Amino acid sequence: MSFGLKAYLRPTSINEATSLLAKYGKKAMPLAGGTDILVDKPSDVEFLVDITGLPLNYIKKRKEGVKIGALSTFSSVETSDLLGNGSYSILVDAARKMGSTAIRNVATVGGNICNAVPSAQFPPALIALDAKVKIVGPTGDRIIPLEGFFKGIRKRDLETGEILAEIQVPRLPPSTGTAFFSIGRSCVDISTVIVAVRVTTRKNSTCQKVKIVIGGGIGPTCFASKAGKLLQDEIIQDHLIEKVARTVVAELKPRSTSIRGSPVFKKEVAGVLVKRAIRHALMKARGAC
Amino acid sequence: MEERSIKLNVNDKIYEVEVKPYHTLLHIIRNELGLKGTKYGCGTGECGACTVLVDGKAVHSCLMLAGQAEGKKITTIEGIGTYDEPHPLQQAFVEAGAVQCGFCTPGMILSAKALLDRNPNPTTEEIKRAIDGNLCRCTGYVKIIEAIKATAKQMRRK
Repeated sequence: MSFGLKAYLRPTSINEATSLLAKYGKKAMPLAGGTDILVDKPSDVEFLVDITGLPLNYIKKRKEGVKIGALSTFSSVETSDLLGNGSYSILVDAARKMGSTAIRNVATVGGNICNAVPSAQFPPALIALDAKVKIVGPTGDRIIPLEGFFKGIRKRDLETGEILAEIQVPRLPPSTGTAFFSIGRSCVDISTVIVAVRVTTRKNSTCQKVKIVIGGGIGPTCFASKAGKLLQDEIIQDHLIEKVARTVVAELKPRSTSIRGSPVFKKEVAGVLVKRAIRHALMKARGAC
Repeated sequence: MEERSIKLNVNDKIYEVEVKPYHTLLHIIRNELGLKGTKYGCGTGECGACTVLVDGKAVHSCLMLAGQAEGKKITTIEGIGTYDEPHPLQQAFVEAGAVQCGFCTPGMILSAKALLDRNPNPTTEEIKRAIDGNLCRCTGYVKIIEAIKATAKQMRRK
């Protein structure tokens, strides 16, 4: 192992963890599941601050929505009865497609977010649900929308000493449907293209809100915002879905340096998955599945 | 570099070992404890040859630091059966012809054990999902799945 590690630290409280991270600054990195860090072995990290002993492993239902501790593993999301039904099931679908069983047993939701890579499985599903993240640090707590957390590939809105503590998913209105589709070389492989869709319809069947989030493309996530606007206040029908898919293909600008698929491939696949996801989400919104 | 002494509970035995911060659980199991049943395959969590159980759950020991395993119950292939008294899964793997080169077998059996401990009557799909982190380049998986099914049936009878 070519780590330049000097120490492995195991704080027992959030305050202790943030203090250690603040003290060692850029030389320190928080360690959760470790399934990325122990593969990447960043050479500039001298202090690993193992945060898995902190009380951040929970999934709770509250009046205002669902709170997911950043240290929840993908196995716990996958088997959560609380998330398994209704529109939150998009999170279970995303968790089930994350790596292998042995990876899901240790990899955490917070780690998947903080790694801030385009292929991350969970952020598109969370962003489709308008999730926010709670960040704790030496100067206090703050809550921001997850979509604003990403500042580029491997760049996230975390100041020195801060850690992501909780994901907050708002309560979803009735007649909301969600869908998650992804494609990779094999079922356990890292996804090449990820599509998460959320649709909320009104009683007259028009579309009240739609969110199309694409992963695996240009950055940690990106929105098909132009495509989404095509559906706003419309009754979603097949010809519109086709138009949305064409717009997604035109709108997406995948990185040419991606190792998992060419831009042309990703655009075409995204178009197909968007169509499937919108149809699936719409059926769920209408209570048909 | 800071080296520290930690206690690891491996196969219900407490070991006190000196670890460097970057030592993985796999490194300690094989090189300090001498339990060579756990294999080093890819070192990146792809192949599953290093699978052990941590608090009953299948985990890639190449992706876990030794320090992270402190306070947890580790089970390796040596902890579930012996040559004279094999675990039902080990016996079934032999009988079904689910072992060829044998390199994946310890990890495969531990992943299967984690499944059967919580689900004594798994479907074929559930078995496939439980071993989705364990690569086998010899058997084509068919005999492995048969062996796990046969074990489940046998264990339910008991």
